[in-house]
Parts: sequence; structure tokens; C-alpha cells
Amino acid sequence: MTNAPQNSSNQFPRVLVIDDSPDVHRLLRARLKQEEIEIASVMGGAEGLAEIKNSRPDLILLDLDMPGMDGFEVLRSIKDDAQTVHIPVVVLSGLASPEDKVNAFDLGAHDYIIKPFELTELRVRIRAALRLNFLLRMLSQRAQIDGLTGLWNRAYFDRRVQDEVARVQRHGGALSIAFFDADHFKSINDTFGHPAGDAVLQGIAQVIQRESRQSDIACRYGGEEFVLIMPETNAQDGFAFCDRLRTALESVVWPRHPERKVTVSIGVAGSSNGASLTASAWVEAADKCLYAAKKGGRNRVVLNNLDAPGVQQGQPPMLKAG
Amino acid sequence: MDQSKVAEPLRSKFRGDAEMTELVQEFVQELPSRINSLGGFLRAAQFDELRRAAHQLKGAAGGYGFPTISDSAAKVENLLKSALDQSQLEAVNREVQELVDLCRRATAE
Repeated sequence: MTNAPQNSSNQFPRVLVIDDSPDVHRLLRARLKQEEIEIASVMGGAEGLAEIKNSRPDLILLDLDMPGMDGFEVLRSIKDDAQTVHIPVVVLSGLASPEDKVNAFDLGAHDYIIKPFELTELRVRIRAALRLNFLLRMLSQRAQIDGLTGLWNRAYFDRRVQDEVARVQRHGGALSIAFFDADHFKSINDTFGHPAGDAVLQGIAQVIQRESRQSDIACRYGGEEFVLIMPETNAQDGFAFCDRLRTALESVVWPRHPERKVTVSIGVAGSSNGASLTASAWVEAADKCLYAAKKGGRNRVVLNNLDAPGVQQGQPPMLKAG
Repeated sequence: MDQSKVAEPLRSKFRGDAEMTELVQEFVQELPSRINSLGGFLRAAQFDELRRAAHQLKGAAGGYGFPTISDSAAKVENLLKSALDQSQLEAVNREVQELVDLCRRATAE
């Protein structure tokens, strides 16, 4: 299965408590025993920051008044770091002055609980913070998913391809990128109706997802076009894999139109040694191969092996129309 | 010490709350050692340590359901937040004694 968007695991949400008082840890554990959460405890600000970076909790309960690095400083660091800024922080404090509350909220605190804890209030505030965190995560994931096919969407692809190309430029290694386009898709829509066209797009997405590896990133690029990022895959392997996909798709029998096969044209650009190409140059190279595959008669894969400049369309093996 | 108050036990407001029974017992059992620390810091004029101990006791006592101890500890903590003159020093002595008395009355029964 490809690296398609997934629901978060079904483990309990993890709550990190940062407080210098052992009593607070004991009390919280006793009071939250019935909640479906997993609690971790640290006794100081610096230690807390390290643990946050390390374990990425779903919620942080943070004491303000601690010796050494105090809660305000910890909060500022959490919210300054792009990796942790989204984790909700509920401030726990005996300091109840309006200035402290305003400061904490200004720094990005999600909520504020006064010690000593009022039991039911503590529970509902923690639940509310976790619920918000869950919804925000779902929302940000939904914004990256294509609604029809369930693959990653174009916006996600645009960002991810930059990351993958940058990684190859820094550390070397192989990378292949493939563009897929359903052949004569308009005529499927025109002949069998748009629901049939949608089913074809979903079916292609399913085959791509089923056949690819965990590390591959399958996206819908737009319309009837798909794109697959294949990290650690050189041009030859990328080509071979895409040709298997082409064959698999060719053999699908479509319930809405068993008499009508659907084929795809595929353009692959790949390199084994981290070519010094920009992301847009990779995309352009793969897109040109797709165009060549279309021009060459469709239902075929065209490769541009970027390790051997000048070698372009149809080299090595280019498949003939089926 | 005001003997009339010793007789009157101080109970946690969480008395009867099953989740808390064991924790309140532990807290009450640890109170004598906390009292010792408070007295020791006061005699040694270690006011920063005294303030810290009072601060922690304030939080803990509140958490275990002893608000009067918590309020008394808060008074000690607040007195120690600024430099002390002679009259404030006397006030600290008084408030620590009051705090110790309250702690001695605490019971988990």
C-alpha cells in the first residue's frame, strides 16, 4: 500500500504534564484515571521542551510558576517552533491574576486552569482541548486529500515534491516521478456518463494505491491526471514499476462498461544519484514524457533517465500500444 | 500553641471521595516532615527555601482538599516575596507558627 492519507492511530491521546510539584502529578493521575488518555510527567521546563520535541504529545498541561525555565518561557518556545506550534497548551496555575492569564493567552495558550483543580472542570477542559486538537488535525489532513479518489491532492503534491527533490539534492540517492493520464477519458464521460468517469478515476487511484509501496506518494494532480513520487527509486526501476501499473490497469474490467477498457499513458523522470534539478524541472521532464507517450499512441510508458542527459523519449524500452 | 485548636481536627473536603482517599492519607502522613522543613528553614533564616516550601505546600494542600492550610501557606509565601524588615520578620514567625498548627490538625480519618 502506498503512503496514502491515513487516519491517525487508535491509541489514546497522549497528554504531557509539566509541573515542578510531584503532588500535582499525583493528583492529576488520580483525577484523570478514568479518562481515555495516556499521561506522561516531567518536572521542569527544559526537560519538558525536550520531551515535547521527542514525543509530540497531543496536549500539554503546563505549570507557569517553576524554578529555572518558567512556564511562560516554555510556552514561548513551544509556539516559536513550527514543529510544535499546533499542540494545544493548557496552562495550570495558582497564579490567577488577569495579567498572567492575558500573557498566557497572548503567547498562544489554549486554555487556563486554576489550581487547586475543580474536578469536573478539569476533565471537561481537557476533553475540550483534545477535541479541538483532533478536529484541527482532521481539517488539515482533509485539506490535503482529494475528495473523489482519497489520494493526496495537488496542493500536497506541490509541497511534497519540493521536499523530496530537496532531500535528493542534499543527500543524493535515487528518485523517480511519474505522471499518469487516463487515455480518451473525455469519451468515457461522454459515452457512459460522469458517474462512470468518476468510477474510472477512483478505480485508477485504487490500483495505484494497491500496487505501490509504502514509501511511494500517490497524488491526484487534477482532472484525469495522477502523479506518483517514488523516493529511492532509480529511472529503470521507476519505469518497470510504472509499466506493471499500466498492465494492471489495462486488465481491469469496469462494472459500468465491461466492454470498454481503460488505458493510461505514463511519463517517468528518474535519477539514481540526486540530479541537480529543481522540483519544477523534474515535473517538467516527467510531463514531457507523458506528452511523448500520448503522441506515441497512448497506453505506454516513456522514460527520461536523467542520469544520461540527452537520452530522451522512448529510451530505454518504450512499450507499444496494446 | 493554642491548645483549644489542636483538639479540632481538620479534614479534607474530598473525604469520602474514593479516588482521593489514598492520596489524602499520603499527604497527611507526609505533613510532619513538611512541618520540620518549614521550621528548619525559618530557624536557619533560609528565606528563599522557606518561600519555595510554602509555595509547594500551598499548591499541594489545595489539591488534597485543605484550603485553610493552602491559604495559610500563601500568606507565608507572600510575606517572603519582598525583603523583610523587623516587623515583617515577626509576621513571618507568626504565620509559619499558624501554618504549622493548622498542619498538625490535619487528619485523613
